[in-house]
Amino acid sequence: MAVTGASWLAASAPAPVYPAVGADGLAAVEALSLHPAVSLQASPRHASLLLVCGRIREADRPALRRLHDQLPHPRATLWWRTEPVPGFPAASCVGDDRADAVRAVWRRLATGALGSEADLLPDEPPAPWRGKGDHGQGGEGMTGGKPYGRPMAMTDEDCRDGLALDAYTARLGPFLPILPPGLRLELTIQGDAIQSARVPSPPYPQAGSDDPLRCIARLLPLLGLAGLAERFRRAAQGRAPDLGAPDLGALGRALRRSGALYAIPPGLGGFAGEDLRARLRRWWAQAEGADLRAPPGEGCLADLLPGLEWSEAMLVANSFEPEILMRLCRAGPGDGDGS
Amino acid sequence: MADIAGIAIAGIAALAIGLALQGFGSGFGFGAATSEPQKVPFLGGGDPVSHAWQRYHARYYPMTLLFIAFEMEMMFMYPWAVVFLEEGMKAMVEMGMFLAILSVGILYGWREGVFRWQ
Repeated sequence: MAVTGASWLAASAPAPVYPAVGADGLAAVEALSLHPAVSLQASPRHASLLLVCGRIREADRPALRRLHDQLPHPRATLWWRTEPVPGFPAASCVGDDRADAVRAVWRRLATGALGSEADLLPDEPPAPWRGKGDHGQGGEGMTGGKPYGRPMAMTDEDCRDGLALDAYTARLGPFLPILPPGLRLELTIQGDAIQSARVPSPPYPQAGSDDPLRCIARLLPLLGLAGLAERFRRAAQGRAPDLGAPDLGALGRALRRSGALYAIPPGLGGFAGEDLRARLRRWWAQAEGADLRAPPGEGCLADLLPGLEWSEAMLVANSFEPEILMRLCRAGPGDGDGS
Repeated sequence: MADIAGIAIAGIAALAIGLALQGFGSGFGFGAATSEPQKVPFLGGGDPVSHAWQRYHARYYPMTLLFIAFEMEMMFMYPWAVVFLEEGMKAMVEMGMFLAILSVGILYGWREGVFRWQ
């Protein structure tokens, strides 16, 4: 009885969705985030619905499978603007861009009318313990052997103050919410400083997502201004392209009063003679109707990141229009190192 | 006797509530066995290259060192001030030794740049 009541309560709550954004899917997900019946989650642990929005590269399918299995039960997958990837269970929702459809699936899932999807990957550790003895003992170093199949972090040269510490390397993305969708970053970090960066694959193309208001809305949550970001998304959603310069007075005042410009370190993320603060100013001028364009320039995202702290690096990665970011990631294999 | 009975009743009640809550939780599927794919760290679909057991730098440590150096000084100086008149020169020398040892820590903090305003 208690369980039935709890599932009824769960079904009436906003649907917890983890979005995996593919090609041209960003606008639909940003529109969905404004719907009160849906709450977008930043981690699969807190979501029940995996929303795949847009076409996914074949190379990203293993990552999608890993994500799917990280959602707790009960879970379901929704496919928007793309066909279900082979190997996934029969889809419960395809094609529809409507938040009502998400809500309907969530209601059926929470009340038990729709069964939970089974794991796609085998139930075994992806990197099993590899030691010499039966229990992983033996070998060299603090733990001996390779705990969970991965090498222990070892001291590496420091790019900050000469104190050599352990370097940690991880591949982030392509569906990490803090990064532009599709972007993979292989980062080596020491504490919170980026020591070296590599870009294994560029972000997905996002047609029509270069709206300056949307660009500002993507940057603001990283400064802790999620509420203001939502106001910007709403403003971008509400205005038609043929209306010309909209009245953005209140929004501009809110942006100035929030101190967002001063929260960004000066000179950060310099590219084509324009740092992050200047880009934010240009976006705002563009939103107000000024005829400005991003300055032309060639560069590589992987060269912009080394030496920055984590929070700064995430700001830089989110401070380009999708089209420019694709160019920055395509420029070369990108092997930025601390030098 | 009444005390022991009271403790026993409280113990039994605590045990019963604990077990009941555990059963209640498992009814929702909490504590269900976590599958191996769910134990993998979340990196947006990516995977870690090296192990996460690592040493990192607590960069606030020179400030902590300085704080403890001055705090210890003050902690010892109050009781010392009380007995200083009785003990005289002996207390003076003892405090000198104590301050000498502590000042090594302050000198070390100086070398680490703790007095630099940034």
